[in-house]
Amino acid sequence: MNALLLTAVFGVIMMLSSFLLTSKTAIRGLAVSGMVIVLAANVLEMMGIVFFKIDTKDMIAFDRFSLLFNSIVFISTLVYFLLSARDMEKVGINYGEYFALIFFVLCGVTLSSSFHSLLILFLGIEIISIPLYILTGSDKRNLKSNEASLKYFLLGAFSTGLMLMGIALIYGATGTFSTNGITTSPTSALVIAGMLLLMFSMAFKVSAAPFHFWTPDVYDGAPTVFTSFMATIVKVAAFIAFMRLFNDEFGSLQSRWQLLIALITAITLFIGNITAVFQQSVKRMLAYSSISQAGFMMMAIFAMNADAREGLLLYSAAYCLATIGIFAVLMKLKDYSFDGFNAFAKQQPLLAATTTIFLLSLAGIPLTAGFLSKFWMIKAVAGTGKYLWLVIFAVLMAVVSVYYYFRVIQAMYFKEGDGQTIEASLPFKWTLVLLAGIIVLLGVFPNWIIYWLYF
Amino acid sequence: MSSVPMSHILFVSTALFFIGMYGLFTRRNMITMLMAIELILNSVNINFVVFNKYLYPDKLDGIFFTIFIITIAAAEAAVAIAIIINLYRSHRSIDVENASEMKW
Amino acid sequence: MNITQILFWFLSALTVFSALMVVVSKNPVYSVLWLIFTFFCISGHYIMLNAQFLFIVNIIVYAGAIMVLFLFVIMLMNLNQSSEPKKHRWLRMAGVVAGGCLLLVLVAALKNIDIKKQVAETNTGDIGLIGNLGKVLFNQYVVPFEISSILFLSAMVGTVVIGKKE
Repeated sequence: MNALLLTAVFGVIMMLSSFLLTSKTAIRGLAVSGMVIVLAANVLEMMGIVFFKIDTKDMIAFDRFSLLFNSIVFISTLVYFLLSARDMEKVGINYGEYFALIFFVLCGVTLSSSFHSLLILFLGIEIISIPLYILTGSDKRNLKSNEASLKYFLLGAFSTGLMLMGIALIYGATGTFSTNGITTSPTSALVIAGMLLLMFSMAFKVSAAPFHFWTPDVYDGAPTVFTSFMATIVKVAAFIAFMRLFNDEFGSLQSRWQLLIALITAITLFIGNITAVFQQSVKRMLAYSSISQAGFMMMAIFAMNADAREGLLLYSAAYCLATIGIFAVLMKLKDYSFDGFNAFAKQQPLLAATTTIFLLSLAGIPLTAGFLSKFWMIKAVAGTGKYLWLVIFAVLMAVVSVYYYFRVIQAMYFKEGDGQTIEASLPFKWTLVLLAGIIVLLGVFPNWIIYWLYF
Repeated sequence: MSSVPMSHILFVSTALFFIGMYGLFTRRNMITMLMAIELILNSVNINFVVFNKYLYPDKLDGIFFTIFIITIAAAEAAVAIAIIINLYRSHRSIDVENASEMKW
Repeated sequence: MNITQILFWFLSALTVFSALMVVVSKNPVYSVLWLIFTFFCISGHYIMLNAQFLFIVNIIVYAGAIMVLFLFVIMLMNLNQSSEPKKHRWLRMAGVVAGGCLLLVLVAALKNIDIKKQVAETNTGDIGLIGNLGKVLFNQYVVPFEISSILFLSAMVGTVVIGKKE
């Protein structure tokens, strides 16, 4: 509850700041300190100190899982602000408003991670989506950005329509919006149809195949700063909503949806990884890589056991931090193709080293957080004892993914080129080093996150 | 209205849903696609009200969801119109595929 | 067949027909006008279902505000030319096939719903009126109500960000 109210309040403050404060440094400072306050308030709530006690009529339930996830999201956003907030200046003149919209998105994230009513799920998803349509189109003179925002809007609104139809059918079958689980037996056709519609719409939101086709265009067209935000924080938030929905509401029907989710997972892994191999632009490659990582996260939805819950939290932390880091480096470059990274290691040895760690983590090489989170996912699926082909397929696809991540590393270290001159400030470099350190440490001590789930 | 079976009015709303979907997939004019989305949302609204009135008449849950959908649809439409105007300003066309550096 | 049923069939036929015209019309202005007509028909359904407040909200918000916005934009951009190229055939086919499958699923789900529970409306009349709605809204639904204000704020900020000239 702390975080929900504070993110909304800081959204309003940032909105006002854009005409009260003239200096961009001041706005940035305000946003970063706001993020720290929100994070602190959320950590306090995890320890049991709640500032605002509001009777939500059992519509929102802040349990340990959602609070821990919120903390991960806020830490990632803080890192994102520290690394990339400076690059938002280049997008347009509405500097304060961008921060306001991001705070509103975070408010939606807290809602969608802790809903206990389908109405709140709908509101949360909408509060996430509407600012994102705007952020996608915020580079107003760039045609690609406008177009991406348009496509994102159309498909987003369509998937919202599907979701609403699903909610309507579930309401017809159960008479309530609370996600207490379907108890009526035998299961009516209404429930099955509603569940399918909700599954499709959530697959749209997390960009799982075959509903992924908007992702590359939208991620490619959006300003790179906001792609970084969309591809990480928003995506894992949609996954948490997906998981909560299918755990709380449809948990009793697991045998009915498991095969379908397994198929979606397999197709997502296949399409994401295979298409990423053929990309020429690193930004587009990262878009496809986000699809393939979504495939791995879908495995948590498939398994839906204790391992899956721990794994999804670990995965969100590992994936968010590594991808934010890569995007932060990518934004400094002018040429987004693979050749743009040629001889990068000679130019900026420190940046190249940290980028290598991020890429290794995404590829799932041992001693990084990415490896452990993938391991957790595979353990979760193996724990269900069914569909073991999915495990083998996932490992195979993880091997394929190594190829396109290593292409960047190869370009940085082993290719000759004139290299681009980029300017990176000292704090930027140190933040990146810190981020790489966190990723390696999480890869060795995953219990730092898991512990908070059970203490 | 109790003399009308519930399934009949649900078929009307289902028909609206699929007309909206058809419009969304076959038209290329942005405004028309937006209108198709409004049709979809309206069919959902009818569903909610019908379920509320026929199956659970002692509570008002369905009607409230409808009110929330209507308000949010208004907000969405405003955002969509802003995006369309911006696209038109820079591109002089609101044909979805005309404005295509990228493939669908 | 009593008067309610006749009215229902008449309204339903009008709704579906005008919705089809929205999608089929070549000229966007006609589409908007047909859509306004559809909204009036849907409002008629609401009144037959004893949801008087929704009836008035639907007309004010949809037919009044949103549609006027649409018309305004179409006029502003002078978009009323009716030459609109077709989409790829395979895309349309895919859309029709996918939609048809979903339609089958939905119709199957809705087909035997009457058997499940046939409760006629017990408390007719006043439950859809604004007084009752207000009481429930500010007791049970006050949290989502407040949350939707955040959504409006974000939509407002967003519209200004996109719409403002640089």
